[in-house]
Amino acid sequence: MMRAEAVYKALLHCYPAPFRHEYGNQMLLVFAEQLGEARRTGGRLEQAALWVYAALDTLTIAPKEHWHVILQDVRYALRTMKASPSFTAVAILSLALGIGANTAIFSLWNGVLHSSLPAVHKPEQLMMLSNPDDTGMWTGRWDGRTDGPRSWLTYGEFEQLRDHAGGFSALMASQSSLITWQVRFEGGAWEEARGRLVSGEYFQVLGVSPAIGRTFTTADDRADAPYAVISYDYWQRRFGGSSEVLGKTVTIRAAALTVIGVGPSGFIGETSGQQPDLWLPLRTQPGVLPGKDWLHDTPPEKVMWLHVFGRLKPEVTPAQAEAQANAIFHAGLESFYGATASGERRREFLDQRLRILPGGRGASPVRNQFAHTLTALLAAVGVLLLIACANLANLLLARGAARKPEIALRLSLGASRGRLIRQLVTESLALAAMGGMAAIAVAYFLHGGLVRMIAESDPRFRMSFAPDPLVMAFTLAATLAAALLFGVFPAWQATKTGAGASLKEQSRGAIGSFRQMRTGRFLVSLQLALSLPLLVGAGLLARTVYNLQRADLGFPAERLLLVRVDLREALQDATRTDSLLRELLGQLQRIPGVRAASLSQLGVFSGGESSSSIEVEGYAPKGDHDRGSAVDVVGPGYFSTLGVPIRLGREILESDRREAPKVCVINEAFAKRFFDRRNPIGMRVASVDNDKRTAYQVVGVAKNARAQNLRGDVEPRFFVAAQQAPASAKSPTLLIRTASESAPVLAAVRKTIQRVDAALPILSAKSIEAQMAPLTAQDRTTAQLAVVFGCVALTLAAIGLYGVLAYGIARRRGEIAVRIALGARPGRVVSMILGETIGLVGAGLALGGGLAYAASHLIDSLLFGVAPQDPLTLVLATGLLLLVALSAAYLPARRASKLDPMVALRQE
Amino acid sequence: MNDSKPDSLLPLPTAVFHILIALADRDRHGYSIMQDVAARTGGKVQLSAGTLYSSIRRMLDQGLIEELAESPDPSSTDERRRYYRLTRFGKRVAAAEVERLNTLVQQARATGLVPGA
Repeated sequence: MMRAEAVYKALLHCYPAPFRHEYGNQMLLVFAEQLGEARRTGGRLEQAALWVYAALDTLTIAPKEHWHVILQDVRYALRTMKASPSFTAVAILSLALGIGANTAIFSLWNGVLHSSLPAVHKPEQLMMLSNPDDTGMWTGRWDGRTDGPRSWLTYGEFEQLRDHAGGFSALMASQSSLITWQVRFEGGAWEEARGRLVSGEYFQVLGVSPAIGRTFTTADDRADAPYAVISYDYWQRRFGGSSEVLGKTVTIRAAALTVIGVGPSGFIGETSGQQPDLWLPLRTQPGVLPGKDWLHDTPPEKVMWLHVFGRLKPEVTPAQAEAQANAIFHAGLESFYGATASGERRREFLDQRLRILPGGRGASPVRNQFAHTLTALLAAVGVLLLIACANLANLLLARGAARKPEIALRLSLGASRGRLIRQLVTESLALAAMGGMAAIAVAYFLHGGLVRMIAESDPRFRMSFAPDPLVMAFTLAATLAAALLFGVFPAWQATKTGAGASLKEQSRGAIGSFRQMRTGRFLVSLQLALSLPLLVGAGLLARTVYNLQRADLGFPAERLLLVRVDLREALQDATRTDSLLRELLGQLQRIPGVRAASLSQLGVFSGGESSSSIEVEGYAPKGDHDRGSAVDVVGPGYFSTLGVPIRLGREILESDRREAPKVCVINEAFAKRFFDRRNPIGMRVASVDNDKRTAYQVVGVAKNARAQNLRGDVEPRFFVAAQQAPASAKSPTLLIRTASESAPVLAAVRKTIQRVDAALPILSAKSIEAQMAPLTAQDRTTAQLAVVFGCVALTLAAIGLYGVLAYGIARRRGEIAVRIALGARPGRVVSMILGETIGLVGAGLALGGGLAYAASHLIDSLLFGVAPQDPLTLVLATGLLLLVALSAAYLPARRASKLDPMVALRQE
Repeated sequence: MNDSKPDSLLPLPTAVFHILIALADRDRHGYSIMQDVAARTGGKVQLSAGTLYSSIRRMLDQGLIEELAESPDPSSTDERRRYYRLTRFGKRVAAAEVERLNTLVQQARATGLVPGA
C-alpha cells in the first residue's frame, strides 16, 4: 500500500503546484480508499483498471489544470499592465523597437548573406563555376589581370563544359547581369520588363517545374528557339494569373518570342536579391541584344558574360570536378589564344582557371558590398535590444520593490515563491509577446527602408520582407530571450526577502534595500556602457558621411550637368560622329547660362571604368601588372569644363583632331608612378591592344581628380582626345558647366540636342549631385540608422537612470528630510545625490569606452576620413552621454532638495 | 457571493451536475461524493480523483459549493478529510439546469421524437 501511494504521489507531480498543494492530499486519500475497496471486493483486474483510470486522469486533467493556471496568470498580468499604462507603454514600445529592428536586420542579413535560393530544389547541392559576387561582361581586351580565377564564362566555354565535363550530372548557364527591356505583348503597349538569357538546362539544373506550360530544354539551345518563360510574380501582376498568357507573342527589340511557360511561385532564379520578369534562351541574344554577337568568340576577343551552375554526380568530389573542368577549360584557352597572343600575354591568358564554389546561395552582386554594413547593423541592434532589456529589468526591479508589500502578503498567506516568480515572469512574457507582435510591424517598415538603401546602390535589388520560418523563429527567440533577460531577475529579487521582513520594512518606511539599489545601479551602468559604443559608432558614421560629401574631388561638384547620349546610329561614320559632336558642343556652349561644355567617354561617377595596357617611354615595368592604367577619352576643354587645374603643359584642345599628332594628358598619379621625377611633357605613352599599338605624346599633367570613386587613392589615368582614340565612344557623357543653378538649363540642353539631331537618344540627364547621391546612399542610410539607434539607446539610458534615482530618493525621503531639518542646504542635497551618481556613470562610461574600442574594427571598413578610434568622436559621445546622464539625475535630485522636512517626516 | 447569472454556467458538465446532486441531501467529503454518484447511477458513472477535484476546484471558484471549516461529523477520525456544501447559488444553478433539461425533454416529446409520458 505504501508503494502504491508513493507511485500515485509521483503521478500527482504532473499537476500544477497550486492544485497539487490544495487537493493532492485529498486525491491521495480518495485513491487509497478506492484501491482498498478494489482489494476487498474485486481482484487484480479491478486494481489494474483503477491504475489505468488514474493514468488517463493525469493525461487529461493535468494539462487542463495547467492551462487554467496560465490563463489565470495572463489575466492577472493584463490587469497589472492596465493598472500602470505608462510603464506598459514604455515597455511595449521599447521592446517593439528592439525586437523589430533585430527582426528587420536579421531578415535582410540572412536574406542577402546566408539564405539559399528560394524555391530551388536541394540548393545545397548546386555548384558554381563563375564568381558569384560579380556581374557584367568583359571582352578581355586589356590585360590588367587576365590570369587567376575567371569571373564569367563565354558561351563557347560553357558549351565545351556542358558537353564534356563528366563530373557534373548537368550544367547550365545564365547571363550574369539582369537586363531591363522595353517589351510588348501582342495587343498591348510597350512596357518595361526585366529579364535575363539562360541556357536550355536552366530550369532542370535548378530543379524547378513550371506553374503552367513548359520550360526550356537542351534542344532549345541547339536550334533557334523563339520562346520566353515568364516569372510567377510577373504572371500574377501583369496577367492576373490567366492561362491565356501561354502562346502569346512578346516583342523584344528585333525578336518576336512566344510565351511557353510560367515559373513556379516564389522562384527568382539563380541570383539572390533580383526578381526577373522573364527568361529567354541564350540563342535569342542576337535578336534581343542586337549590335554584337555574344555567342561566338573571334580572336582576340572573348565575350565573357555567363554564370555557370551545375550539380555534381553523386560519387564526384568538388576537387575532382574542378580539376576535370579546368582541363577542358585550358584546352579551350590553348586553342583560342595559341595562335594570337604571344609571350607574357599568352602565359597570362593560359593562367586563367575556374574555381568551383558552393552555389546554393546563388550569385549576388550586393552580397560582398553589404556584408559589413549588415553585420555591423545586426550587432548594433543586438546591443540596442540588450539596452532595452536592461532598462526594463530596471523598471521592473523598481516596480517589484513597490509591490513588495503585496508580494509579502501573498507569501505570508501561503503562496509559494515559485508560484509568485512564475506569475511575475508570465507578466514579462505577456509584455514581451505584445512587444514582439508590434515588432513585426516595425520590422516590416524598417526592412522596406533597408531594401531601398541597397536598391540605391544597385537598382536591380529587390527583396520583400518575408516572415519565413527562420525569421519568425528568430523573432520568437528574441522575444523569449528578452522576456527572460528582463523578467527573471527582478522576479527573483522581488520575491527574495522573507514575508515578515518586507512587511516590517514597509511599515517603517525606512531606507531602501541596498542590494536592490545596487542591482539597479549596476544595470544603469551597464546601459550606459552599452550605449557608448552605439553613440561612438553613430558619430563615426555621421562624420564619414560628412567627409564623403565634402571630399575634395579636385573639381567643384556643383553646377554641372551630365547628359549621356547614344551615338550608336551615328557611329557608322567616324567623320560624321566628329562633326556631330563638334556641332553639339558648339551649340550647347551658346545656351545662356552655360559656361563650358565638353564630353567624356566614362562620364563622372558613372560606375564604369576603362583601362588600357600601356608602354611608357623610359619606364621599365617592375612586374607583370605594372603595365596598365585607367584611361578616359575626352573632348576638347574637358579639364577646364570640369574645373581640374592643369599643373604642367596644356589640356586637350579643339585642335587635337583626327589628323593631328596624337596627344594625351596624364594625371599627377600617372606622372608620379611612371615618370617619377622626370618631366613627362613630350614623352610618349602607348596604349597596347594585343598587337595593335597607338602612341600618344604627353602634352599636359592635370591635378589628381576623383571622377569615378570617392574612396581609395586616385589611380594613375591618362586622357586621350576623342577624335584620336582608336575607337569612338558609343555613349559619351556631355559635361555642361553652368553659371548658376543647373536645373533650369536642363530643358534648354534637351532642346538643343534635339535641334542638332532629332534622332539622337538621350540615355540620361542629371545634375552632378543626383549622379553622386547613390555613391553615398549606403553610408547615409547606415549613418541615419546608427544615429537613430544611438538616440534610442541614449533615451533608454536616461529613463533607466532617472528611474533608479527617483526610486532611490523616494526610498530615502526620511533620511533626506532629516538632513534638511538639520540644516543641509538644497544645493548640498543636490550635489550629494549627483556625487553618488557620478560613480555609476563613471563606471559605465569606462566600461563603454573599452567596448567602443573593442568594437571599432567592426565598422573600420565603413569609415572614410576618420579613424575607428578617433579620440574626438569618443570624447564627444562620452560628453553627450555624461550630459544626458547628469540631466536625468538632476531632476530627482532637485525634487529631493525641495522636500519639506515636516511633511516628509510626518508621512514616515 | 456570486454575482454571475445561473444561466451563464449552463449547460453544466456531467461531473459537476452529479456532484451538485450528491451534495443536495447532505454535506459530503470527496470519497463520499464518489460513492454516492456510483451508487445512484448503478456504477455507470465512476468519478476519478482527478476529475472530482478538478471539478471541485472549478465549482469552488464559481461559488457553486463551499468548503466547511470543520468536519460536520464529530465521529470522523480522519482530520485530513475536507467537506463540501452546496451554496444557495449552487442550488439556483442546479435548478436552472433541471429547467433547461426539462424544456429539452418537453420539446423532444412535443415534436414526437420520443413518445409522451
